[in-house]
Amino acid sequence: MTAAVSPAGALAAPARRLGRLQREGRAAYLFLAPALLFFCVFLILPFLFAIVLAFSDWGGFDLGTLKWAGTANFGDVLSFDGTFVKPILVNTLLFAFGSVFLATFGSVLVAYCIDRLAFQGFWRVLYFLPVVATVVAIGNVWKMMYQPAGLINGVLNKLGVNSIGFLSDASYALPSVTVVQAWASIGGAVLILTAGLKAIPEMYYEAAEVDGASTWHMFWSITLPLLRPALLFVLITQFIGGLQSFALIIVMTGDGGPVNATNVAAFEMYQRAFKYGAWGTASAMAMVLFVIILAITLLQLWVARRRGEETS
Amino acid sequence: MRRRHGKFPWFAYLVVILGGVAMVMPFLDMVMSSFKGAGEYGVIPYKLLPESFNLDNYREAFSQLELPRLFRNSVIVTVSVTVSVLITSALAGYALAKLRFRGRAVIFRFILATMMLPPFLLLIPTFLIMLNWPLAGGNDFLGRGGDGGLTTSLLALILPFTVSGFGIFLMRQFMISLPDEMLEAAKIDGANQWQIWRLIVLPQTKPVAITLGLITFIGTWNEYIWTLLISSSDPSLQTLPVGIQLLQSFLDPDRTMPIVMAGLVISTLPVLVVFLVFQKYYVRGVVLSGLK
Repeated sequence: MTAAVSPAGALAAPARRLGRLQREGRAAYLFLAPALLFFCVFLILPFLFAIVLAFSDWGGFDLGTLKWAGTANFGDVLSFDGTFVKPILVNTLLFAFGSVFLATFGSVLVAYCIDRLAFQGFWRVLYFLPVVATVVAIGNVWKMMYQPAGLINGVLNKLGVNSIGFLSDASYALPSVTVVQAWASIGGAVLILTAGLKAIPEMYYEAAEVDGASTWHMFWSITLPLLRPALLFVLITQFIGGLQSFALIIVMTGDGGPVNATNVAAFEMYQRAFKYGAWGTASAMAMVLFVIILAITLLQLWVARRRGEETS
Repeated sequence: MRRRHGKFPWFAYLVVILGGVAMVMPFLDMVMSSFKGAGEYGVIPYKLLPESFNLDNYREAFSQLELPRLFRNSVIVTVSVTVSVLITSALAGYALAKLRFRGRAVIFRFILATMMLPPFLLLIPTFLIMLNWPLAGGNDFLGRGGDGGLTTSLLALILPFTVSGFGIFLMRQFMISLPDEMLEAAKIDGANQWQIWRLIVLPQTKPVAITLGLITFIGTWNEYIWTLLISSSDPSLQTLPVGIQLLQSFLDPDRTMPIVMAGLVISTLPVLVVFLVFQKYYVRGVVLSGLK
């Protein structure tokens, strides 16, 4: 109550503002309308449908024949006599963990080295090439290189090593596709990590150098800790990607073979649904994988946050 | 150059060059194999170089693959999706960045949440929705009775990708940094929100639009799983990746692989050119999405 305002003015200003806000609100929802409509039809509706399907028994076509099945689908999927838990879910985790481990290790090393070279842009584009290529190109080229008469066995033979059936031998098939997945995802990780490296202030290194720290020591106690946010992002996104990707496996092995050796959860879901029409079972598989992805993501975030609090 | 502590970084050169060879070798093998003739591919000992650079496999690819049709489908789908994502993202991004309205925070959080839903989860229900799309492909208005619904049209490859949560997020992050004074001035001059968006905001979003356009273009051009699914009942809907992949299931692999490689070289080239021309923007987009 410091300034005397005329009653009319005091009322008119908020009213005008309210009118403007309402107009802005209407405009905002018009701007958002296409996106919101889309999300209703292609996100919320299918998401709810996915949940319903996972708990029901349905032969397809007529929705009137959809029957509630309780948790029967999940029982089928998770039973230990089946193939879903072992080997398929185990394969999925090995594929995702393996490729993320290789890609992260490789990309930290490469990003750190590129940061010390000339022509950094050139190197980054080089490592990024696989990200631009279609999975059909990547899968087929590697399938070709893995053949008995392919490039890799050619090199092995030159070194006096016998040919390996990379994709035909059940014990080599999963590691072989895992390597390709890692190879294809290094480029994206290198880009993000390079940005992270550039954000580390130069003076930390200068100070460490004055104190006589070795390159290795500097990497361990300056680079790595300060790179952690970028590293965490890379880990989480690649892990989520690895757990659900199966395009590479379709292209390279056709059916997840030999005998399920490269079959992963999302691929099994795809086959159950579109090859056999087992919508309920397939949807239950999708739901299980979704919950696993969600749990692992939250766990990673939680661990990162706790560590962050301890160090700061 | 920054950060040249120590002597000549020979170790760094060694790592980066060795890794670089591993990155390029597969592509080199792809190009070389695309020139290999009958009796040259699949022979031990392996040879990288073809005997001659003749274009027979490329001719074969054109005749066996109906490349013009695949190319046409790829272009139609990619351009439609890219244009649509750009427009819808710019519209929604503007509302979330610059307009004040009830529910803004909730909607923004919802958009972020949409990025958490993995595509494989929506694969089955989205397919069933397309199959039972009302008033399409002979369906009645409840989506019953028809023969394939929307799955017999290229729209099936476009519609599920017309809006991107990531795109909206990217646009919103960019637009939030546009100065408010400029928009206020336009408002005082009597412009309505549509005019402000169209005449003032849109022209300034060019850099982020190129980034988003490029990411969407490459992603859509290379999309495989959904297209494979939709075109399995109607081969006329195949795009380049699917058409090329399905070629090899028909014939003798040792003879088809070089033709497949020729097809892959042709289908990779447009994306590669687009990427190399605009790579600065692509790099920025990946980095932006990484540091959110």
